[in-house]
Amino acid sequence: MPVSGSKAFKLGWQIACLCLLSIFLPALVTSLGYSLTDALGPGPGFFPFWLSLIGAVLAAAMLVQVTLAKADEGVDIGLAPNRRVMLQGLGVIIALTAAAALFEPLGYRLTMLLFIVGVLFILGARSPIAIALTALAGSFGVFHVFYHWLKVPLPIGEIGM
Amino acid sequence: MDTLQHLMVGLTAALSLQNLTFALIGCVLGTLIGVLPGLGPAAGTAILIPLTFKLDPTGALIMLSAIYYGAMYGGTITSVLINVPGEAASVVTCIDGYQMAKQGRGGTALGIAAIGSFVGGIFATIALVVVAPPLAQVALKFGPPEFFALMLVGLCLITGLGGRSLVSGLVMAVLGLLIAMIGIDPVRGAPRFTLGIPSLYDGLGFIPVVMGLFGVAEILLAIQQPRRQVIKTNLASLMPSREEWRRAIGAIGRGTGIGFFLGLIPGVGAIIPTFVAYVFEKRISKTPERFGQGAIEGVAAPESANNAYANAAMIPLLTLGIPSSPTIAVLMGAFIINGLTPGPFLFQERPDLVWAVIASFFLGNILLLVLNLPFVGLWARILHLPYPYVCTGTLLFCVIGAYSLQQNVFDIYVMIACGIIGYGMRRIDMPIAPLVLGLILGPFIEKSLRTSLEMSAGDFSIFFTRPLCLVLLVLAAVVLVASALRLPPREVREASAG
Repeated sequence: MPVSGSKAFKLGWQIACLCLLSIFLPALVTSLGYSLTDALGPGPGFFPFWLSLIGAVLAAAMLVQVTLAKADEGVDIGLAPNRRVMLQGLGVIIALTAAAALFEPLGYRLTMLLFIVGVLFILGARSPIAIALTALAGSFGVFHVFYHWLKVPLPIGEIGM
Repeated sequence: MDTLQHLMVGLTAALSLQNLTFALIGCVLGTLIGVLPGLGPAAGTAILIPLTFKLDPTGALIMLSAIYYGAMYGGTITSVLINVPGEAASVVTCIDGYQMAKQGRGGTALGIAAIGSFVGGIFATIALVVVAPPLAQVALKFGPPEFFALMLVGLCLITGLGGRSLVSGLVMAVLGLLIAMIGIDPVRGAPRFTLGIPSLYDGLGFIPVVMGLFGVAEILLAIQQPRRQVIKTNLASLMPSREEWRRAIGAIGRGTGIGFFLGLIPGVGAIIPTFVAYVFEKRISKTPERFGQGAIEGVAAPESANNAYANAAMIPLLTLGIPSSPTIAVLMGAFIINGLTPGPFLFQERPDLVWAVIASFFLGNILLLVLNLPFVGLWARILHLPYPYVCTGTLLFCVIGAYSLQQNVFDIYVMIACGIIGYGMRRIDMPIAPLVLGLILGPFIEKSLRTSLEMSAGDFSIFFTRPLCLVLLVLAAVVLVASALRLPPREVREASAG
C-alpha cells in the first residue's frame, strides 16, 4: 500500500485485501480437491495450491500492513466520486450489461443502436443529429465494416438485424 | 541465411502493398489512440485486435505492432497541447512541451518530438536486428528449468520495479497466475476452477480481461476527469532553430541510448526511461534552470527514450518470450491468438514472419515521421472531439473485441467485471501490470515448472543443479530483495508506479 493516504484510501485498501483473501482462501480449499501429485510428478492441483497459499499469506500480510499504517490526518481525499460522476459510471455499467444481455437476441445492429444512444445521453451529449449519426455509424456502419469487409462474425439476432 | 538476408526477405514482405497498408492503418490508429487522452496503448492495442482477426498472421502482427508504437508517438501531442499525457510514457514531456506551447513554440516541440522518436525508434530497431538472432540462438539451448527461471526473473522485475509496494505487486502477480489456472489443465486435461460453467473450460480470455482492466476502467476514470482546453500555439513552424538543433541533437542521442538499454529489462515500464532521460539531461545541463520553462532538451530526450524503449522492448518478447509491459503482453496475446508463441523457436519456425514484422518497424517509424510532421495540425484537431463520443466509441470497440474472439457473450460479462475491478484498483493505486503479466505468463510458467519436475521425477534440485537456472533464480531473488529494501531510487519507483 502507499505509505500514506486518507482514511478513505486506507479503507479502500482494506476492502481490496479482504476481496483478495476471499479469492485466495476458497481457491486454496478447491485446489486441495485436485491431485497435487500423480505418477508423472506434480498434478493439476500443484501449482494452484501453492499460488493460493502464497496469495493468501501475502494478502493477509498486506491487510496487517495496511491496518497498522497510519492514515494521514488532514489528507481528505475521498475515494467515492461526486454524485453526477457516480451516476454516469453506474449508467455506463448498466448500459454495458444490458448490451451484453441483448447482444445475441436482438443482434449487433439494434443492440448497439440503443447502446450508443443510451451511453451518449448518459455522458451528456444532447445534440439529436450528432447522436443519431453516431448511433447509425456505430451500429449499421461498424457492422458492415466488420461483418462484410473484415469477416468478423457479429450476431444477427432473432429478427434478422 | 544470415541476418542481412533474412532482413531483406522480411523487408520485401513488409513492402508488399498489403502489409504496407496494414502498417499505415496501424500507425494512423495508434497515433489516434495516443492522441486521445485516457486511452492508453495497452487498451488501444487490445480493442483493435478484432480488426486483425481475419488477416494473415504477418499482416495482423505488422498492424498491431504499428498500433503499439504509433500510440507511443501520439501521446506527445496531448502532452504538448493540453498538458495531459495521451499515454503514461509522455507524462515527462508535459513539463517542457506544454511550456514551449504556451510560449508559441508548440510546433517546434512536436517537431523535435517526432524527429527524436524517429531516431530512437530506428536506432532501437537496428539494435534489435543485431542483437535478436544471437540472443535467440542462446535461448534455444534453454530447457524447461531455464525457461521457468527466466520467466520468474521477468515476473520479479515487473513486480519489483512496477509498483509502490513490493507486497501489492507480488500479490497481483500471484492473482494473475492463479486466474491463468482457470480452465482445462493443459497437461492432464482436468478442469480447474470452472465452477461448472462451460464458458470457463477454455479459461478466462486474456483479451476480455485486458479490455476490462484497461479499456472499460479507463473510460470509467475518464468520466471524472475535468476537461482541458487545447492551447492556442504556433503549429506552422515545426523545425527547430539552429540553436535549438544544437541543444537537441545530444539529448536525442543520450535519450535513445537510455531508452534502448532500459527497454531490454522487463518490468522497467515506459515511464522510467523517459524520466531517467529527462533527469539526466537536467543534471548535465549547464543551465538546468531552463528545464520546466520550455527547454527543448526536456522534450527531445524523453521522446527519443520513449520510442527507443518501445522498440527495444520487443527484444525480450521476440527472443525470450518475455513481455516487458502490459502493452507488450497484449502483443504477446495477439501472437498467441494467431497460433504463434513468441520466443527463440519462432525465429526457427517462422523466420518469414519474424523478419517481416521486424522490417515493418523501420517502415512504421518512417510512416510515423511522415504522419506526425505534416499532419500535426490534423491530430491537434482531433483533441476537439467531444469526450462522450470518444468514450462511446471506445466502449463499442471493447464490446466487439470481447465478443468476437470466441463469439461468446460470457466474455462481455468478464470484460465488464474486469472493468469494475480495474477501476477500483486504479482508484487505490493498486498495480495492474503484474496481474496482466501473471495472466499471460501463467500457462507457460506452469508448463515449464511441471515439465521440469517430470524430468527430475519430482526432485526440486533440478532448479539448483543447472548453472544457468541457478544464476537466474539467484537474480530473481536479488531483484525481490532489492525491491524489498527499496534500492531503486524513490523517484524511479514513483515514476514507474505512475
